[in-house]
Amino acid sequence: MKDPRPPLSLRLRRRRVRDRLATLLITAGGVGVVVSVLAIGVFLALEVVPLFLGADALSPRELWGPQPVEGYAEPQHRWRPEPLIEGDTTHFGMAPLVWGTLKAALWALLFAVPLALGAAIHSALYMPRRLRTRLKPTLELMEALPGVVIGFVAGILLAPWVERHLAGSLALLVALPLGMVAAGGLRALLPMPLRVRLSPGWAGLWLMPWLVLVGVATLWLAPAIEAALFGGDLRGWLADTLDLDYAARNAMVVGLAMGFAVIPGIYALAEDALAGVPGSLGEGAQALGATRWQTLWKVLLPAAAPGIFSAIMIGAGRAAGETMIVLMASGNTALMSINPLEGLRSLSATIAIELPEAAVGGTHYRLLFLAALVLFAFTFLVNTLAEGVRTRLRRRYRRLEGGT
Amino acid sequence: MRTLWRRRGEGPWPWLAAGSVALSLLMLLALLLLLAIRGLGHFWPAEVALVALQDGQPFAGVAVREEQIPGEETRERLYFTGNRDLDGDRWRWVEVSAIADIRHPAELVVLQRSRWGEFHGRLVAVTGGGEHHTGEAAWPALQARLSELDVLRDERDRLRDDVVVPLVRRLDNAGNLADADFRAALAAANARIRELQSAMGDDILILESVDGRRIEQPLDLVLRAWRPNAMSPLDKLGAWAGGVWLFLSEGPRAANSAGGVWPAIFGTVLMVLLMSLVVTPFGVLAGIYLNEVAHQGPLTRLVRIGVRNLAGVPAIVYGVFGLGVFVYGIGGTLDEWFFSESLPSPTFGTGGLLWASLTLALLTLPVVIVATEEGLARVPDHQREGALALGATRMEMLTRVVLPMTLPAMLTGMILAVARAAGEVAPLMLVGVAKLAPQVPVDGDFPFLHLERKFMHLGYHIYDAAFHGDDVQAAMPLVFATALLLVLVILVLNLTAIFLRHHLRARHGAPSRW
Repeated sequence: MKDPRPPLSLRLRRRRVRDRLATLLITAGGVGVVVSVLAIGVFLALEVVPLFLGADALSPRELWGPQPVEGYAEPQHRWRPEPLIEGDTTHFGMAPLVWGTLKAALWALLFAVPLALGAAIHSALYMPRRLRTRLKPTLELMEALPGVVIGFVAGILLAPWVERHLAGSLALLVALPLGMVAAGGLRALLPMPLRVRLSPGWAGLWLMPWLVLVGVATLWLAPAIEAALFGGDLRGWLADTLDLDYAARNAMVVGLAMGFAVIPGIYALAEDALAGVPGSLGEGAQALGATRWQTLWKVLLPAAAPGIFSAIMIGAGRAAGETMIVLMASGNTALMSINPLEGLRSLSATIAIELPEAAVGGTHYRLLFLAALVLFAFTFLVNTLAEGVRTRLRRRYRRLEGGT
Repeated sequence: MRTLWRRRGEGPWPWLAAGSVALSLLMLLALLLLLAIRGLGHFWPAEVALVALQDGQPFAGVAVREEQIPGEETRERLYFTGNRDLDGDRWRWVEVSAIADIRHPAELVVLQRSRWGEFHGRLVAVTGGGEHHTGEAAWPALQARLSELDVLRDERDRLRDDVVVPLVRRLDNAGNLADADFRAALAAANARIRELQSAMGDDILILESVDGRRIEQPLDLVLRAWRPNAMSPLDKLGAWAGGVWLFLSEGPRAANSAGGVWPAIFGTVLMVLLMSLVVTPFGVLAGIYLNEVAHQGPLTRLVRIGVRNLAGVPAIVYGVFGLGVFVYGIGGTLDEWFFSESLPSPTFGTGGLLWASLTLALLTLPVVIVATEEGLARVPDHQREGALALGATRMEMLTRVVLPMTLPAMLTGMILAVARAAGEVAPLMLVGVAKLAPQVPVDGDFPFLHLERKFMHLGYHIYDAAFHGDDVQAAMPLVFATALLLVLVILVLNLTAIFLRHHLRARHGAPSRW
């Protein structure tokens, strides 16, 4: 019998050639993709360079400093890249935009970090495994909710609601944490069989109806409190006593909405960091008589601190770049104020609004590219930092585990 | 040990931690419930109230909400009254104390019209074609005529979309060279359309608002009619399902504040499909390169970190990149080379379907790369070594052993990429989404798929209808429905990915390297 196939050596050579070709293809494709992805930063930088070259280059003072503005004695920070009417002067001060971005991110973090860390601590320490494996995907779904939907609900429903019930919403910020603590206190007073039923591990679930109850009661009581403390007009009181203006779409609403969007991300990373602490550390502390909370505070948190830090950094990066929520819930007024009850305008929202209309290659166009570059650099740096910290942490955990 | 902890108090902190879980879940639940109720509730035929005021004036409307006037004792209620042609407005605020009487008479009709929006009132007569129905006979006659009209309208729309529009476009392109067959076909189609139009046109409804003003309403502008107060729950369920279907299958009307979202659904799906066609091969290729081919040195590690970080770069930055490189850069060049006859009006040098898909592909590339890499890392090294030891080349080892095991991971990555892309709006605002593009980018005209056209997108539709409409209040229910639809699509995609990944973990165990 003769083998119809070509001789073995030829087949082998063909296979080798095919292998080498495939490897070459994969390498070319892989390098191409990676390079083109990494080219984003380079491209943005190249587009921005002409701003600072040539005769009509912008000086850093023009970009970041206050400008003399007609009608104002003091120089003002002003962003007005296109003249509103013919012959109007233009101002390219980007400081209010950067300020708005940071302000929105800060308020979002102020709201999201306590909630996300609390949730991570609770699920890493107290929650039974069965519940935890359900909670994680649920919060992942929360992360997947599109920004445009969150921004829409915040801008159209939440902002007017908070405007009408300002006292109630501020009271909620105080009442809900108190309600959580009160739930713990009340549980201790319950008879034993009921108390066992309401175990701390499942508190994440059975606290939900209780918090709804607390919230409803607070909103019901809020007008009375407002009447007693602020003469029934909290906004007037804020304006008179603290000199705070109020805008319906303000930094607090943005913070709330964007906080909602970044909670899951921070939670997931922080939970990973806490759950990754080698078990021997916690067990040792508990064997020496520490409570779970003492173990957390003295042993687990210090060990996991870099991971939690990187979780917060990544949350900050996400909050700084989020576009649709800020665009829809912030009012988009370029202001430089720390008042959380006023509007703001972020870099990302400015790009989304103005870039489609900016003349290609003009100063305004390049400034918006600069805004994109600033966002890119900021998030890239923050994420690299966080990633580096995380890698080091993982190495540390491995060492700690190996040491026992 | 466990009981010991429980007996000893741990202070308030654990409760705050537990409370934050509860609060996060509550917020998520509240948002989803809100979307579901407001989004689906709109299609339910709400009862129309006949409200008589203290001063004797009646009006018919659907109660929307009630509000306390700040600083005063009175409460005000908002009614949706329709009848914009009569009253100039579709909304009416009424002080609750000024209402003398509310009834729900069964004979009140609600008409959905293609001009002037909804009508609330009474049906007096249906006339036309030599027939005249009044009183009790008017309502069945109206319904019969409406279902006839639906058939005619369907045929007209089909003729226009499938025959007339492509013919006209071909005539435009061919100029004077077009042959007589074309013109004859076009004339025949137009004649048929005119015939259909005249079959629709001659009926008139005589309507009366509850305060006694009469109008004559041409029947061909009436889309749907119902008498909500006379409907049984089962009828209402039928009408609800019909409403949902129309919402999903029709195009928008009245500056996006009424009608359906079919072009937006189509645009979103098509864009995402094109994007996954691009992102999957390239992402997988890059993942394989980084994990299997590249030398695992410090440079590769750096590149890997860089790629991961790109997942955290804001979407709008990708939009800026897409605008600068794809639209103005590549698109502008393409226009100069191939479409110079139509310049200065751009063909590819403006936002369009292709550039949007490419931009989103770039945006989701890190997702696919990371997922592929994770899947590859999960394949134990001894599998690779075994294959190589049996004489396989690296290519054979990859295609026969490693990649089949990684397939679910790649699929997960692709689904996550699709889910992310479907919800991303900000970059699209720069590279090709349109407020209104009734022509979907696919039709019977060569080359069938029009990559340069602008398209509608569910997410942008939400933003536009909620913030740029002239009557935002009236568009609100549809925006909620659109938001619900978008969220549902994304949740389903994500659940699929989560399920796949869970399945995968259960099969392969813990990852070996990450």
